Amino acid sequence: MRRLIDTLNRIPRVLLFAAAGLIQVALIVVIVIDRLRVLREGSEVRLQTRPVDPRDFLRGDYVVLNYEISSVAAAGLKDQPVPGKHASVYVRLAPNAEGFHSAVSVHAEPVAVTAPDVLIRGRVLYGANCGGDVRLFCDRLQLNYGIEKYFVPEGEGRQIEQPRRDGKVTIVAAVTPAGRAAIKRLLIDGKPVYDEPLF
Amino acid sequence: MSERDYRKRLEADLARWEADGLIAASAGAAIRATLRPVPEGVTIATVVQIAGGLLIAAAFLAFVAANWSEIPRPTRFGILLAGIASAYVLGAWFDRSARPYLADLAVAVGSIVFGAAIALTGQMYHLGDDFAGGMLLLAAGSLITAVLTGSRGALAVALVTACIWNGMRVFEMSDVHLPFVAFWLICAGLAVMWNARVARHLVALAAIVWCVHSAIGIEEDHVANPSFAFVAAVAFLLGSGLALASRGSESIRAFGLTLSNYAAYALAISLAWVVAGIFGLGSRELPTAIIVLGIAGAALALCASAIGRRLGPALVALAIALALIVVSGEITTSRLDDPWLMYALALASMLCLVISGMLDGERSRVVAGWIGLAAVIAGVTWAAQGSLLRRSAFLAAAGLAAVALASLLGRVLPKERN
Repeated sequence: MRRLIDTLNRIPRVLLFAAAGLIQVALIVVIVIDRLRVLREGSEVRLQTRPVDPRDFLRGDYVVLNYEISSVAAAGLKDQPVPGKHASVYVRLAPNAEGFHSAVSVHAEPVAVTAPDVLIRGRVLYGANCGGDVRLFCDRLQLNYGIEKYFVPEGEGRQIEQPRRDGKVTIVAAVTPAGRAAIKRLLIDGKPVYDEPLF
Repeated sequence: MSERDYRKRLEADLARWEADGLIAASAGAAIRATLRPVPEGVTIATVVQIAGGLLIAAAFLAFVAANWSEIPRPTRFGILLAGIASAYVLGAWFDRSARPYLADLAVAVGSIVFGAAIALTGQMYHLGDDFAGGMLLLAAGSLITAVLTGSRGALAVALVTACIWNGMRVFEMSDVHLPFVAFWLICAGLAVMWNARVARHLVALAAIVWCVHSAIGIEEDHVANPSFAFVAAVAFLLGSGLALASRGSESIRAFGLTLSNYAAYALAISLAWVVAGIFGLGSRELPTAIIVLGIAGAALALCASAIGRRLGPALVALAIALALIVVSGEITTSRLDDPWLMYALALASMLCLVISGMLDGERSRVVAGWIGLAAVIAGVTWAAQGSLLRRSAFLAAAGLAAVALASLLGRVLPKERN
């Protein structure tokens, strides 16, 4: 550490300030590029949603999206030990007769899948607190996939409320082989309403 | 004592010694010549400048927020990046014009803008709501900035956000979150390298916050007695701090002392809360690793005592040992009776802390001990268990024992001479 500080003391201060700013800018750019990679490389899945539209202070309107795959049967994971209250699990999705992807099985570790099936990573919200002294998976799991919020321009959140009640809102998400997901499109009655640009 | 206060006192002393003929005027001048120039403090003009800068920044933020959703997304993204860059350009300019406080402030504002940029980028690009991950990114970015620019403000942002990240991970995992320790060690190294008071205090405070979060994680996981785990952790910090304060460079000693003082406060308050029954003992389990941590704290305090050949740290070791016994839950009593032994050991522990602080001339530790003593007495008085009359008798007996001990010490210890 002392050597690092001595080395830094030999560099002109203005360059150190520039480096600090550039590193923070680079970190933000990396986040956006990472999301771009998910959208570009991920397999597309269609998911049935049930949104609501609360207000979020200073951040405009967003719709909260609940999916049919948000609540899944633990099946083979039931009564297995949980590494943490909000542990990560992997859900295998397969297209159903209506053209939506639905949950087929849940796994504690990634498993190999072949197209058109995809594997999506979720975090357990509820259902990891069964058992006594040892925390075990319950029979049903409530999961969060990181695609539960979709920000829309102020005032437009309520326009999605009615179609939500009618079950007409669906989304298209991109899912990478590692299970990471990002929203690509939001559709009402099968027609794209919001299409995510890459930038 | 701040540098300015020290200089004032030294100047007054030198003038008095010269007037009394204790030192020659040339000796006084020679002492003054060895002193470095006092760094420029925060003047009223600087404070007004800071306030003005903050107001302009707030006005700009409000203006952008009012029109935010109408601005095209790439432009919004550009505004965020430009906001970060401008803060650092401003910081570099202040630094170049020898205004270190303003440079530090600009870097801290840059780190805060970086945090806002993370949140707003998350909103614009519909990123997953991993709030803790965002906090880690902000903490890491701010820490890198602190290392590069020497900004205390950026270090403060890094530590605060790292504590939030730690708290959220503890909540998610219901367990102790060890990666924070690695982050904290880097911050501690920086505080030692800088030898800066504010950095020492921030780092020491963050360590206590980590202990609190860890105790909560242990409580949620039901794997151990959380009160014992907390006391063992702060005991380790207390012992480590004293060990660091007994050897090494001035900056290491100062860091160790600050760490030990914060740990002493945490020990005193947590012990009083356990006695008062505010902190339950929870699970009775005492895992070996946690017991070893507490014992290591006492052992390190004993090492500090041996290295410095001082009695104070040895009494801290005794205070730690007694506190660990109190919170272990191993002192059993009948359900209707008060835990007299626990009360007595808690009082003795805090008394040891006070005496150790007095022997070492460490005011913060004395205050911590007094707070602990007062809080333990209050806890004993207002504990819901047992009869008030018996507690009154216990407190009277404890008071008489303390007076007897004081009388004995008065005979054994040498009298102070003025």
